[in-house]
Amino acid sequence: MEEKTPILSVRNLNVKFSLRGKVLHAIRDVSLDLYKGETLAIVGESGSGKSVLTKTFMGLLDQNGWIDSGSILFQGKDLAKYKTEKEWLTIRGGEIAMVLQDPMTSLNPLKTIGAQIREALMLHRSMNKSQAYQRTIELLNDVGIPDPVRRIRQYPHEFSGGMRQRVVIAIALACNPQILICDEPTTALDVTIQAQILHLIRDLVKKYALTTVYITHDLGVVANVADRVAVMYAGDIVEIGTSREVFYDARHPYTWALLSSLPQLGHRGEKLFSIQGTPPNLYAEIKGDAFAPRNPHALKIDFERRPPLFQVSPTHWARTWLLHPDAPSLDPPEVLQRLRQEEWQ
Amino acid sequence: MAKYILKRLGTSLFTLAVILTIVFVLVRQMPIEGYFDNFDKLDQAVIDARLKQLGLKDPLPVQLKDFFVRLIHGDLGTSARYAVNVSISEIIGKKAPLSIEMGVISMALSLVLGIPLGAAMARSKNKFWDQFGTAFIVFVSAVPAAIYYIYIQSFGSTLLGFPMLFSRDDWRTWILPVFSMSLGNIAYYAMWLRRYMVDEMNKDYVRLARAKGVKEKNITMRHVFRNSFVPMIQYIPTSLLYTVSGSIYIESLYSVPGMGGLLVDVIARQDNPMVQALVMIYASIGIVGMILGDLLMAVIDPRISLARKDSAR
Repeated sequence: MEEKTPILSVRNLNVKFSLRGKVLHAIRDVSLDLYKGETLAIVGESGSGKSVLTKTFMGLLDQNGWIDSGSILFQGKDLAKYKTEKEWLTIRGGEIAMVLQDPMTSLNPLKTIGAQIREALMLHRSMNKSQAYQRTIELLNDVGIPDPVRRIRQYPHEFSGGMRQRVVIAIALACNPQILICDEPTTALDVTIQAQILHLIRDLVKKYALTTVYITHDLGVVANVADRVAVMYAGDIVEIGTSREVFYDARHPYTWALLSSLPQLGHRGEKLFSIQGTPPNLYAEIKGDAFAPRNPHALKIDFERRPPLFQVSPTHWARTWLLHPDAPSLDPPEVLQRLRQEEWQ
Repeated sequence: MAKYILKRLGTSLFTLAVILTIVFVLVRQMPIEGYFDNFDKLDQAVIDARLKQLGLKDPLPVQLKDFFVRLIHGDLGTSARYAVNVSISEIIGKKAPLSIEMGVISMALSLVLGIPLGAAMARSKNKFWDQFGTAFIVFVSAVPAAIYYIYIQSFGSTLLGFPMLFSRDDWRTWILPVFSMSLGNIAYYAMWLRRYMVDEMNKDYVRLARAKGVKEKNITMRHVFRNSFVPMIQYIPTSLLYTVSGSIYIESLYSVPGMGGLLVDVIARQDNPMVQALVMIYASIGIVGMILGDLLMAVIDPRISLARKDSAR
């Protein structure tokens, strides 16, 4: 990573939802810097708040959700203060664009893919029809759709899943954004197509000099694409560092547990690791470390006070009391030690 | 496309023949007393002569064959009891255009009012327009139509000064009956459009459109509306049929000389030729309506292709 200028800074963000008369605290005091040109992966299990966090960048929270406190600084403006559609329209697409999870449903079935790409071009590039047509053809070429002149007139149902995801990516690029958010872009695709789409996004990110946020629960994807990794648990970032640091020198017990559950790290004959218990109830106020009840190594203080972010290296932080100087020293699980050794060899 | 339509019309003719045969046989199972006003006082000879005159003495298959032969030559026959010996084409030719004209105007009004109402309801979910529309829909569906028809007539004529009785040449007399006829459909279209639009608004393509920076207003107009209209458009031609055939009460309330109540009337009087002719007309409109509905759907939804073509995958 070259220079590190933050393009987007999240500070002490809290997001809440009201659901059936109760308030759910979905994002709990999250701070995060996104650096220009980097690819950041946000990992975590379902419901950990990874999608919600990125939705706040574009004002796409569902109607029953709101930013309770905190700020999101982007180009000198605080997006957390944006309220009206007019304000958000200056961000959506043109500055921050998004690729959604399921390409089978994220295109309008009644419009040709050409029209759907053109809509983005005409919104953000103020192009006329023939310029937009030319650009659409170029974009389709860029995302690897053969025979774009014919394809431009076709409808989504005439495309396969992988091809539709390419179209969705073309739409995101058509907006000419600074930041591209990929919300589980390969989850709905089959495995052979996943690799193609990942490669494609990686190449395009380079070509268009994009800053990228990947939301995923697939650590294999993370290892493939990310410069940095943020691990989320129960609406909080519990560990963040470069890919190497998180994979080979993880410090938070939740990251340990997450990595240990990777089937690839298991050895023949051993039982697959799984995390005991269930994620905490976000309706109730969480005391101490949210992961403590599921953490076999939990200390007494884990149940009482929320740990601060401890710095491990200039690029690596983890929110666990284990990093406190007074904490008993604890080795990561054996599988991870094995992983680290393999890395050194 | 042309091939598809021809094929559909072909199967429709068959359907029509089956419907007619069933109705033809059914009306002939009615007790013969129904063909006479004063059956008890008539001689057997008179009765037999009359039945023979009505063509009811022949064996059923022969009667059926005669009926279809005449029908193919375009002869619907003459009315037996409704307007004795007047040709049926003439009776219907007089009544049908008025009913159809009224039905079409009322349909147009229902669409013009019902669709914006449904769209407004979907856009302001749980706010004023939605609650207003819901109240309206619940009222129209829950209160028996006869009650509000009467209120419309009495308030319309006393407060607004519209004429009580229909006269073909005075447009002011059209307003109340057409409005009454439309109320049900306005509620129906608004309800379904709102429902389909709310469904569509939660779909991923709407979220993607929002994420690419399309205005909420344009999302509704350009993306959501057309998608929600696909499942509705299929039923519009059929609902025209219901409007025309179901306006019995309104036509009698305003003395409209249409054909709304005609079918019930001729069934009660056991006027077999009239029953057969009317069933044929309604069935044809119904069948054509369904074909039209399917064609309309294929026109707005590219995923539906009527002529089989190779899809490029």
